[in-house]
Amino acid sequence: MAKMLEFRQLSKKYPGTVSPAVDNFNLDVEQGELIVLIGPSGCGKTTTLRMINRLIEPSSGTLIVEGRDYRTYNAVDLRRRLGYVIQRIGLLPHLTIAENITFVLKLSGVDRTSRQKRAIELLEMVGLEPAEYLDRYPKELSGGQQQRIGVLRALAHDPDIILMDEPFGALDPLMREQLQEEFKRLQQNVAKTIIFVTHDMDEALSMADRIVLMRDGGIVQVAEPEEILRHPADEFVASFIGRFRVLRQASEVSVGEVMLTGPVTIGAHQGLAQAMELMRRRRVNTLLVRDTTKTFIGMVSQASVRHHFEAGETFKVSMIAEMPQKTLKPDDTALTAMHQMLEGNDLELIPVLNDDGKLMGLITRGSLVGLLGDALRVAAEVDPSSRSSEGAS
Amino acid sequence: MTLLSHTWQFFMAHPSQVWRATVQQLYLVAIPMALAIVLAIPLTILSTRIRWLYGPVIGFANGLQTIPSLALLALMIAIGMGIGTFPAIVALLLYALMPIIRNTYVGIMGVDDGVKDAARGMGVTTWQMLWIVELPLALRVIIAGIRSALVTTIGFATLAALIGAGGLGQLIMEGMGMASNSIVLAGTIPAIILAFLGDAIMGKLENVLTPRGLKG
Ligand SMILES: Nc1ncnc2c1ncn2[C@@H]1O[C@H](COP(=O)(O)OP(=O)(O)OP(=O)(O)O)[C@@H](O)[C@H]1O
Ligand SMILES: [Mg+2]
Repeated sequence: MAKMLEFRQLSKKYPGTVSPAVDNFNLDVEQGELIVLIGPSGCGKTTTLRMINRLIEPSSGTLIVEGRDYRTYNAVDLRRRLGYVIQRIGLLPHLTIAENITFVLKLSGVDRTSRQKRAIELLEMVGLEPAEYLDRYPKELSGGQQQRIGVLRALAHDPDIILMDEPFGALDPLMREQLQEEFKRLQQNVAKTIIFVTHDMDEALSMADRIVLMRDGGIVQVAEPEEILRHPADEFVASFIGRFRVLRQASEVSVGEVMLTGPVTIGAHQGLAQAMELMRRRRVNTLLVRDTTKTFIGMVSQASVRHHFEAGETFKVSMIAEMPQKTLKPDDTALTAMHQMLEGNDLELIPVLNDDGKLMGLITRGSLVGLLGDALRVAAEVDPSSRSSEGAS
Repeated sequence: MTLLSHTWQFFMAHPSQVWRATVQQLYLVAIPMALAIVLAIPLTILSTRIRWLYGPVIGFANGLQTIPSLALLALMIAIGMGIGTFPAIVALLLYALMPIIRNTYVGIMGVDDGVKDAARGMGVTTWQMLWIVELPLALRVIIAGIRSALVTTIGFATLAALIGAGGLGQLIMEGMGMASNSIVLAGTIPAIILAFLGDAIMGKLENVLTPRGLKG
């Protein structure tokens, strides 16, 4: 596939600053790729993006745009070849929607009829009724509608490359999600090469073909979303993913922090009918059996309780309680919990006991969902074939 | 009522004198205004590009505005320009600069950065930025500046008679010299009408020239 953009040791140091805003940036972008630049505020995302359309001149290194060094383009011509969408939208308030959408076409001298036709075509693409919107002015549109026009404006002249700087950043979450979806659909049809800046990891994960994670002007990791979740390059990446996804290193989180503290328990002396009723009422299929001192005695499953109950037995629950294969202590790490859950033939839940055998809480899969990134890694480490053989033995 | 009828009689008896004074008055307003616009707007546009220029430019215009109008006229004589229409036009022109410079600068600098950034990113040239982005968006504010300069100039122009520039002020001064209120009014009434007319026309212009997308 053709390379659309080749960054070669691209760097930018603003005059009067100590360290470069972008430092030795290297990347090849294939045609049709959607690259997301992400990283903490001030890491150089916008600077990188704006060097592509020469709104900022690089200090050193070079950039090859569609096979040609950026310096061989006239800056104005280069910009008219690209699409540009910014967070502040920046529609021209004194121009109609039609005029805004076809602004670049007008700059390039395309005639009025063709421009009008193109505006109609694009509005239809995003489901905005042309008759209603063509002659409106930007301020007569909602923020979400305005940014739709902002995106259409970047598509109007059919550029090969589109630059987007936090295009949905100013929208409320619902609107943002809607525009993301819409944009993904649009992208499936137009298949542009897109450089997309965001600070929203969810957005990056859902939009990107590849994510470029930046820090202090440099690239920390370039990878597909799945890969970055599975194998964060270093602590920084892991914590960056964590910060945005509420994912934390499972090895740093204790079982005590993530366990459920109010599991449904039943006293050892209670009967099977009471157990059935409790399960129905609390909508659970396992009960933790404890004695009056909260000492853990075992677990009973719904199947087992029903079986004994229907057989007409009058046992107390303590008599059918079974000790689970695995238990955890509050200060075990969540990573241990994950390993146990996966190794224990995909257990649904593991009770957490203190050193005196008293019941402290419960770990379920749900309590570990927030640690998904690490779970994927654990799953990859625990070889599936060894797990099934272990289960069979 | 007798005063008004006397004034009317004066109008009827000396139509050409009143007319000549009014036409002179129009020149005294139109010429300095035209010059002020032609001078102030490009100079201010230049100082939106070369920022350090704005300080001295607006400082100069502001300084002129703080000089009482009468004193400015006297100053024209003092610096050796003598009396007559020319020094009056220079004084009026200098006095009209400030509102135009200030509003042009505020108007252009007030154009949203996001709009300018988007426009630049879409490939407008420096000239296009000025002509199709900045000026249309600043136009309303610039016109408001011209309007306020115009109102001041019309008022100031009647004073210009003091240094022999003629116009309606001349008529007013003659009336005062002869202690004739009717002659004073014969100069005052057209002056007032001119002021209102000027303001109304500028108001209309402001409205017409404001793009629909910026109204409301
Ligand atoms: N015009 C400028 N002059 C000097 N320093 C600048 C300029 N623009 C940006 N910087 C600095 O360069 C660094 C990178 O800025 P940049 O805008 O590229 O960051 P960013 O990753 O886009 O951040 P954000 O997520 O906040 O938008 C920052 O430290 C910033 O302060
Ligand atoms: Mg930025």
